[in-house]
Amino acid sequence: MIDTRTIELHRRQVLLAAAALLVGTAFVCQSAVALTPAEIKAKGKLVVGIQGDNPPWGFVNSSGKQEGFDADIAELFGKELGAPVEFVPLAVANRIPALTTGRVDILFATMAMLPDRAKAVQFSKPYVANTMGLVAAKTTEIKTNADMGKFVIGVPRSSVQDTQVAKNAPESATIRRFDDDAATIQALVSGQVQAIGSNMFYIDRLNQASPGTYETKLEFTRLYNGACTRLGEKEMNATVNAFIEKIRSNGDLAKITKKWMKQDPVQFPTSVEGVPFEVN
Amino acid sequence: MGTGEFLFLLKGVQWTVALSAIGFICGGITGLVVALARTSGSFVTERMTGAYIALFQGTPLLMQLFVVYYGLALIGLKLDAWAAVAIGFTLHASAYLGEIWRGSIEAVPRGQTEAAKALGLGYMARTRDVVLPQALRISLPATIGFLVQLIKGTSLAAIVGFTELTRAGSIVSNTVFKPLLVFGIVGALYFGLCWPLSLLGAHLEHRFAAAQR
Amino acid sequence: MNYKLDFGPVLDGLPNLLWGSAGTLGLALSGMLLAIVIGIGGVVLRDSHIRPLRWLVIAFVELIRNTPFLVQIYFIFFALPLAGVRLNPTVTAIIALGINGGAYAIEIIRGGVQSINKGQVEAGLALGLQKAQVFRLIVLRPALRAIYPSLTSQFVLLTLTTSVAAAISAYELTSVAQRIESDSFRSFEVYGTVTLFYFVMSWLVMSLFRIIGKVSFDYPIK
Repeated sequence: MIDTRTIELHRRQVLLAAAALLVGTAFVCQSAVALTPAEIKAKGKLVVGIQGDNPPWGFVNSSGKQEGFDADIAELFGKELGAPVEFVPLAVANRIPALTTGRVDILFATMAMLPDRAKAVQFSKPYVANTMGLVAAKTTEIKTNADMGKFVIGVPRSSVQDTQVAKNAPESATIRRFDDDAATIQALVSGQVQAIGSNMFYIDRLNQASPGTYETKLEFTRLYNGACTRLGEKEMNATVNAFIEKIRSNGDLAKITKKWMKQDPVQFPTSVEGVPFEVN
Repeated sequence: MGTGEFLFLLKGVQWTVALSAIGFICGGITGLVVALARTSGSFVTERMTGAYIALFQGTPLLMQLFVVYYGLALIGLKLDAWAAVAIGFTLHASAYLGEIWRGSIEAVPRGQTEAAKALGLGYMARTRDVVLPQALRISLPATIGFLVQLIKGTSLAAIVGFTELTRAGSIVSNTVFKPLLVFGIVGALYFGLCWPLSLLGAHLEHRFAAAQR
Repeated sequence: MNYKLDFGPVLDGLPNLLWGSAGTLGLALSGMLLAIVIGIGGVVLRDSHIRPLRWLVIAFVELIRNTPFLVQIYFIFFALPLAGVRLNPTVTAIIALGINGGAYAIEIIRGGVQSINKGQVEAGLALGLQKAQVFRLIVLRPALRAIYPSLTSQFVLLTLTTSVAAAISAYELTSVAQRIESDSFRSFEVYGTVTLFYFVMSWLVMSLFRIIGKVSFDYPIK
């Protein structure tokens, strides 16, 4: 039970103390993390941020083990560095903060290359492509971007789909943001939204649940995913890029892509506008 | 929904129980310190702990988790989701338990403290042997009541991506697409954890009320 | 890596945060109204002569008080549609808050009602008042006055619980904060500031209740 007198009496103290704390942390916070491959090897493990509920990219299976396309690539990278991998499953919106605050060493977390993100993290060269689109029931009439205006659309908060739908949908569309892919798909299945911004695999998952009910209505864009390290960490970035070049040419990437995506890797561009692949 | 999915839910129960236990035990130890500080007689200490309690009781648990989850890494403590969330619940519990126990410490009749002082007992002996045993007994119904709140509160760890029971339910519901069944089972599992404790708390409350009649 | 605090995005987003706070207060106050209705209704049914009704109220209270709010709101938002009941996030949040607050309100108000001396009720009936009048004037009003502090703190808690409604994309302060955070990635600054917003709001709600209490219960007791 809350003692209402206590809160009344101490409100001012709390506000003052909180203000002091926020100002104080500005002085206390200095650089805490700057990593090199040698340091990772020395510390004995590579902490990888990954998605825990987004098959086939990254998901935790029913025995609690991390699996998926990103997991396989991360394990190979760990072998390259000589350090075993420790996976940290992250919600969509937590991926970049987890990296910048040092909670993880690197992200193999379905990170699509976007200029805004490139301001906060350092992308590597791309290692997989992802097509973003809109999925809805076959009975829902959506043929053009403008049609979206008549409906309620769900997206995972802070995801590429979020940005894409916000960009392409007219003002009259209602956009609802959920914490993760699982909640977004549930929103469509329960009819709380009529369409959802999706990556290329949502339709597979929906077809498993309710075959033939849903289809991809619109395609927004093809995006390329890269591994993410912190801005300024030159050695980490160089090592990851070298690794990606290696698995592109020695067939490992093709094998893993076929296993999870059931398709061959695409031709990767040498540059993506607004997203540098290297630390300069 | 098959046994595999149900076992995944049970794993979630495991984490829920673990999180509640850590929060309650560590929060309890810290809460005791808070309660003693709050009744220490020192003006500054009492005001400061009062502010601490007011902060945690006047803000949402979800925000407290967010701030600890993102803030701890800032001051150099790189902890995984489990540790960050455990710390968040510990702090939350310490404030609420501190306040509950402060109330019950103050409810112990003043005569007890005076008699203890008259017998020459120092602060430590007085507190440990005379005041606290009585205070904690008085506080049992409220303490158990808070434990139930804590167990329910662990569901919010789902929102920072920690896979306890509620998140496990979300994931399973997304695999079998039967939200009525899955969330029904999840609710039943929480009920199974909380209701016995609630009944115990109510029973103790009646016992104490009867003793005072 | 140098993590320097940067409150720019917070300051830029201030208007939105204020609107979000308005959303929070709107949800909270609507939820409280529903909770009071459910609370009083539940108290009446709880002491009814029809046993199944009594059991229904008991089951309702025990169920709601022993399951997490997040699961309750997920159930209403994601699961009920498959049973034919689909509600938008705002209505879902208000109903979930009302049901949750109502379950606690039933117990709190009932405690107050039971503390009313039987003699008072008998005196009222002897004076020729109708049963409903007796309940409203002699039982309910003094009972509410007695348990007013408990009810206030429960409703402050309800205001804070609105933050969970962000999980179903309802419009309130936490979801606004999450949007700002997802655009700027300044998690600590945004959530730290929003925590203070909630602190101020809980104080506002408490003060509001204090004023209402002074106005409604301004009669001498003895």
